[in-house]
Amino acid sequence: MADKKVIKSRYFFEEDFEEQLAEVPAEKVAAWDKKAKLKIVGKGVDRYDAYDKVSGTARYTFDIQLPHMAYAKTLRCPYAHACIKSIDVSQAEKMPGVLAVLTADNAPKIKWYRGTSYLFDRHLRYAGDEVACVAAKSERIAAQALKKIKVEYEVLPFVADAGKAMQPDAPKLYENGNIAGGKPSVYERGNADEGFNRADVVVEETFDTQVVVHNPTEPHCSVVNWDGDKLTVWDSTQSVFGVRNALADSLDIPANHVRVIKKYMGGGFGSKLAAGKYTIMAALLARTIGRPVKISMDREEMNLAVGNRPDSVQKLKFGAKKDGTLLAMSHYSYGAAGAYPSGAGCSWPLRSIYKCPNVRTEEYTVFINAGPGRPFRAPGHVQGTFALEAMIDTMAEKTGMDPLDFRLKNYSEIDPVSGQPYTTKRLREAYEAGAKAIGWENRNKKPGSDSGVIKRGLGMASQIWWGGGGPPTYANLKMNRDGSVEVLCGTQDIGTGTYTILAQVAAEVLELPMDKVSVILGDTAVTPYAHGSGGSVTAPSTTPAVRHAAELMKEKLIGYAAAQMNLPPERIAYRSGELVDRDNPAQKMSVSALMRKVREQVLVTTGMREANPEGYAVNTFGAQFAEVEVHTDTGKIVVKRIVAAHDIGRTLNRKLLENQFEGGIMQGIGFALMEERVIDRNTGKVLTTNLENYKMTLLPDMPEIEVIIVSDADPLLNNTGVKGIGEPAHIPTAAAIANAVYNATGVRFKSLPLTPDKVLQGLYGGVKQG
Amino acid sequence: MAEKDISRRIFIKRLGTGVAGSGLALSQLSAAVSAGKDDDAGEKAPKDQVLLQLTVNGKAVRLHIPASLTLAELLRDRLNLSGTKVVCNHGECGACTVLLDGKAVYSCHILALDAAGKEVLTVEGLLKGEELHPLQEAFVKEDGLQCGFCTPGQIMSAYALLKQKPHPTPDDIREGMAGNLCRCGAYPKIAQSVLAAAKSNARAER
Amino acid sequence: MNQQFEYINPQSLDEAVKLAGQGSVYAGGTDLLGLMKNDIAHPQRLVNLKALPELKAVERQKGKGLRLGALVTLNELAENEMLQKDFPAISQAAGSAASPQLRNVGTLGGNLCQRPRCWYFRGDFDCLRKGGATCFAMDGENKYHCVVGGDGCYIVHPSDMAVALLALEAKLEIYGPGGQRLLPISHFYVLPEDDPTVETVLQPGEIITSVIVPEQPVGSRSVFVKFRERSAWDFAVVSVAAALQVQNGAISGGKIALGGVAPVPWLDKKLNNTLAGTALDENGINKIAASALTDAEPLEQNGYKVILARNMIKGVLQSLAG
Repeated sequence: MADKKVIKSRYFFEEDFEEQLAEVPAEKVAAWDKKAKLKIVGKGVDRYDAYDKVSGTARYTFDIQLPHMAYAKTLRCPYAHACIKSIDVSQAEKMPGVLAVLTADNAPKIKWYRGTSYLFDRHLRYAGDEVACVAAKSERIAAQALKKIKVEYEVLPFVADAGKAMQPDAPKLYENGNIAGGKPSVYERGNADEGFNRADVVVEETFDTQVVVHNPTEPHCSVVNWDGDKLTVWDSTQSVFGVRNALADSLDIPANHVRVIKKYMGGGFGSKLAAGKYTIMAALLARTIGRPVKISMDREEMNLAVGNRPDSVQKLKFGAKKDGTLLAMSHYSYGAAGAYPSGAGCSWPLRSIYKCPNVRTEEYTVFINAGPGRPFRAPGHVQGTFALEAMIDTMAEKTGMDPLDFRLKNYSEIDPVSGQPYTTKRLREAYEAGAKAIGWENRNKKPGSDSGVIKRGLGMASQIWWGGGGPPTYANLKMNRDGSVEVLCGTQDIGTGTYTILAQVAAEVLELPMDKVSVILGDTAVTPYAHGSGGSVTAPSTTPAVRHAAELMKEKLIGYAAAQMNLPPERIAYRSGELVDRDNPAQKMSVSALMRKVREQVLVTTGMREANPEGYAVNTFGAQFAEVEVHTDTGKIVVKRIVAAHDIGRTLNRKLLENQFEGGIMQGIGFALMEERVIDRNTGKVLTTNLENYKMTLLPDMPEIEVIIVSDADPLLNNTGVKGIGEPAHIPTAAAIANAVYNATGVRFKSLPLTPDKVLQGLYGGVKQG
Repeated sequence: MAEKDISRRIFIKRLGTGVAGSGLALSQLSAAVSAGKDDDAGEKAPKDQVLLQLTVNGKAVRLHIPASLTLAELLRDRLNLSGTKVVCNHGECGACTVLLDGKAVYSCHILALDAAGKEVLTVEGLLKGEELHPLQEAFVKEDGLQCGFCTPGQIMSAYALLKQKPHPTPDDIREGMAGNLCRCGAYPKIAQSVLAAAKSNARAER
Repeated sequence: MNQQFEYINPQSLDEAVKLAGQGSVYAGGTDLLGLMKNDIAHPQRLVNLKALPELKAVERQKGKGLRLGALVTLNELAENEMLQKDFPAISQAAGSAASPQLRNVGTLGGNLCQRPRCWYFRGDFDCLRKGGATCFAMDGENKYHCVVGGDGCYIVHPSDMAVALLALEAKLEIYGPGGQRLLPISHFYVLPEDDPTVETVLQPGEIITSVIVPEQPVGSRSVFVKFRERSAWDFAVVSVAAALQVQNGAISGGKIALGGVAPVPWLDKKLNNTLAGTALDENGINKIAASALTDAEPLEQNGYKVILARNMIKGVLQSLAG
C-alpha cells in the first residue's frame, strides 16, 4: 500500500480543466462499500470548531493583533478610468503616526492581473483601482492620511457596460480592445444550423443576469510579520499555497522564506481563491517600516475591489422535434470581466447536461471599467442554468409536455461533451424524489391560472457541476504516544466543515472517538499540499488522502505491534484503538501502550489522494424545486419552499451537509430576487457600496427547505465515495425560482434579479405613467 | 507610566495571535479588563481623551478614550474582546451585536461613550468559565453557523430575543433575528438553534 | 470614524439648546453616525440628549391626545400596547423600521429628522443636496427615487414615522433659542424647490422635544403599511398610512399619507379630496386609489412606484373595510 507513482492528473476546477503532475498511491485503498456500516462518517456529529466559534474565542485573521503592529489603508481611484499625472504624498508623510506611503512612484514594479497591470499602475481602469497604500500607527491615522495625498488625474472616457464595450467606438481599456483574447470562446458539436432546419419547434430568447458581489462577512485581510528575511502572513484566504507563491514571486524571495497561515475565516465564496494586492502591499510596507502590518478591506472596498460574479447577456436558440426531442441548441453570450482578466463564460451547463447532438456556443468575456470578476460559487453555471432552464421550460410548453417529462426525454446517460460514461448519475432519481416532495402534480397546469392577488407557482431546475476533485492532495497523520492523533492538510476550512469531516474520516478508520483527533489546516510551513478551497473539490480531494494516511497508520501500528508481540503481522488485527492477536484475542495491547514502546514518540504517515478513474466523466447532479408566491399588487416574490434533491456521492455529515445546502439555496434566493451591484451609468462609480444598498437575504427571507440526497456513494471516484456540495447547492436555485414565477404568473421574466419593479413592469406592461 | 502602558498593551495584543486555545482566551479577558481599571484609576485624561466607566461582562471598566471610539472598537481594540465582529461598520449587518443594559444594539454604530454607566454583555460574557451557555450549546448542537464570523452577533441577538420572549414563535424568531446577516445563509439552522434553546429553557422551567 | 469631536451631556433642555447651536444634537445617533462615517456631517460637538428624562415620556391626556417624547425609542413605540390598540399606525411604522437593534437605539425625533438614503447623497458624489451643482439621480440610477415633488433633487424622505404621523395629523413641539413652537408635521418638511439642501424647517439649535397626536374621533381606524424589497432592514419603496373615519360603509374623514414617493412625507391632494364621502366598496376603493399620484412625473426607472402606491392604497382600504 505504501507504493506510489506520479501521474498526469486532470480535473475541473472552477473555470477550467487543470492538468498537473501528482503523486498518487500505486494501489488504491478499497473504497468503502456503498452499504458499509460506518460509525462516524455519515453521522451528524457536531462541528469540530463550533466551540471556538460560538464562544467568541475563535481568532480570525481579522482579530489578530501583534505587538508593535501598524495598520495599512489603501487610496483608491475615484474615477472609472484615469491616468495618474502626479502624486504628492508629502502632506500625508508629515502627519504624526504615518510610517510609510507606497505609490507607483516608489513601489517596485510588480506585475499583477496576469501581467496586464502592476501592483501600482499609473493607468487606473476602474473606480476603486489602487493608487497608494499608507501604513500608520493606527487605522484611523492611515485613513486620515489618505485624504492628504494629492493626486492629479487625467480623467479618461470610460465604459461600464459589456454590450457597449464591444462596440468598435467604445473607450478601450487595453490597446488590443475590450474583448478578452480578442475573440470569443467557441464550442461546437454536430451542426446546430442543420438541427434548427430539421426542428418542428424553434424558440429564441434573450436573458440577462446581474453582477453580484461575494461579500463574505470577514473582509479580505492580512497580517504580515517579517522576522529577518522570513515572512509570516496570516491571511483570510481560500488558498494558503496560492498566497505563498504570489508573495514569493512578487517579492522575489524563496518560497521557504514565506509562511502563510489561515486558521478560521469568515467566508470567501471564491473571492479569496487568489492572492490580493493588499497582502503584497502590506508585506512591502512592513519590510520598509520594520513592524508587523495589518491590512483589512472595509465594506466599501469589499464591494468595489475584491471580485464579483460577472454579468451575462445570453441569446439562446433551441430546436426540438414535436415529440420533445432536442435537436439543436445555440448559445451566444457576453459578460463583463471587469477591468482585468477573469472568466465570464456561462455555457457549460447547456453543453453538458442534456442529450442534444447539435450544439454551438460562442462566448465573449469583455473588459469594462469596473472591479474585476473572480470565481463566485459555480462560475458561469449559475447564470447559464438560469437561461438554460427557462428555455427548457419554454420548449416543454411549446411541445405540450410537462417540464419534467421534457427533461427526461432528453436525459443523457453519458457525458455529451466527452462521450464518456459517468462514475454515477442519479439525476433521474433526484427528479423523482424532488417532484414527490414538492407535490409537482399541484403546479398550475396552465401558467398564471392561479386566481387572486397572490399567485402561487411551482418550478424546477436541473443542476450539473464537476466536484470530483483529484490529486495532488496530501495529508499527514501523526500518532502520538498517548494514542491521540493529528491530521495535517494544506487545505482550508472556509466555513464548510473541512475540520470536521477530516476528523471524522480519521476517527472512523482508526476507530477512535472524535476528541482523540485534532486537525491542523492551512499552514504552508507544516501542512502538506492541498488545492485551494473551491470548485467543490475539497471534500473529494482531502477525505481520501486522510483515509489513506489513516489506513497507512493502521498498517504501521500493526507492524510495530507484531514486533512487540513477536507475532507475524498477519496475526495482528487493529480494533478500536487496540492491537489484538487474531488467534488469541485475549492477547492485545492498546495503541498508547504500544506507543510507549516506540521511542520516536510520534509516528507519521502521508496519505495521498488516488488518481481519478480513467475513461469516466465525474459530475454532481441534482434538481431543485421551488414554490413561490407572487404578490401581483406589489411585485414581491416570496419563496415559500425549496426542495433540493441531489446526487453528490456519500454524505459525510448530514448536519453540515444540510447546512451547506441551505446556505447555497439562501444565496440563490439572493441572486434570484435582490442582489445586484449597481453602477452609475454617468460616472461609472458603484452605488451599492454598503449592505443597505447591496441587499442580501436575511432570516425572514428564509423559506422552508428540504434536502434530499439520492446518492449513497461514488466508490469508483475515490476511497470515501465523496463528491463536493458547495456549488451544486447553489447552482439551480435561481433558475427554479424563475420557473416557479412563470408558473405562477404566466409571464416569463428574463432578467435577474426579479425585483418588484421588474415584476410590476412585466405584469402591468409599460409602467411609466402618471 | 507611559512605559508601563505600552508594555500592558503589548501584553494584551500578544494574546491575539490565534494560537492559544479557548480556555486561555477567557483569562486574558479578565486580565485586560482589570488592567484597564488599575492603570487608569485617578489618572488625568490625556489630550483629546475622556474618561469612560462602564461594566463589561460583569466587570467594572474605567479607561480613557477618544470620544469618536465606537463601542465595537472599545471592545475589540481596547478590551481584547474580539468575539464581537465588525463586518459592515455601519449598523447594517448585526455581526457586532452586544447587549447594552439588556437590549441588543449594533456596537459598531454607537459610541463607546453611549455606554457610559451602563452594562455591556458580549458573547464572551455568556460563558461560565469554559462552559458554554445553553444558547451557545444549542448553536453547537443544531449547527447554527458555518464560517462563524456572524455567529457571536447571532447569538447575542438570540439572547436578547429569548430574554424578552422566552417562548418565541417562529414568527418571533423571524422578527427578532432579522437584524443579523449571515452570508453563508445558515438561517434555517440559526432559527432552529434559537428554537431549541427556547425549548430547553422551557424544560428547565418545568 | 475618522473625526474628532467633543461629546457633551447637557444637564437641562436649556443647556442642550444653547450647546446645540454650535454642534449637532445627538440622540440615538443611528443616522448622524452614518453621516459622519460617510463624511457628510462633521460636527465639532455632539450634544447628547439621552440624559434628559423629560424627552422620554409617552403620555395620554383626555382631550389633549397623545404626547410622545422625542427620545422615545422606536421599539418602545412598537411595543407599547396602548399605541398598538388605539394608534396602530404609529406602532406599525415604528416596528417596521430597520432592525431590532436599530429600533432599540433609534429615537422618534431622530427618525423624523433623518437625512435621505439616496445613494448619490450618501456616496462619493458632490450632489445638489450637499451643495453641489447637480442631481445625479435625475438621469442616473433612480428606481428608488421620487415620482412627485422632485425639483432639481429627487430624494425620497426615508422616515416611516413621519408618514404615520402625517396621516394622524400630528404636531411637533419644537424648542429652541427662540423658545417653544408648535408646528403641524405637514409644515415641518421642506421640498427641494424651497431649499434642496435641507429636509426640515428646524433652525440651528432647535430640537424636537415631543410629538403631539390628536385624539382620533370615535370610529377612526389607522393603519401603516410598508413595502420593501427585502423582508427586513430595508427602507420603504412605498409606504401608506391611513387614519380614516368610517361611517355607514363610507369614509367620513381622515387622511392618507404616502412615503417613498416624494422628497417629503406626502399628502396627495387629489387623493385626500377623494376620501370624504366615498364608499369603502370595490368601486369606491378603486376610485380612491386611482386618484393617487395623478400628478406624478416618474423618472426613467421608477414608474412602477405609481402602480405600487395605488395597489397599496387599495390594500389598506380593503383592510379597513374588512
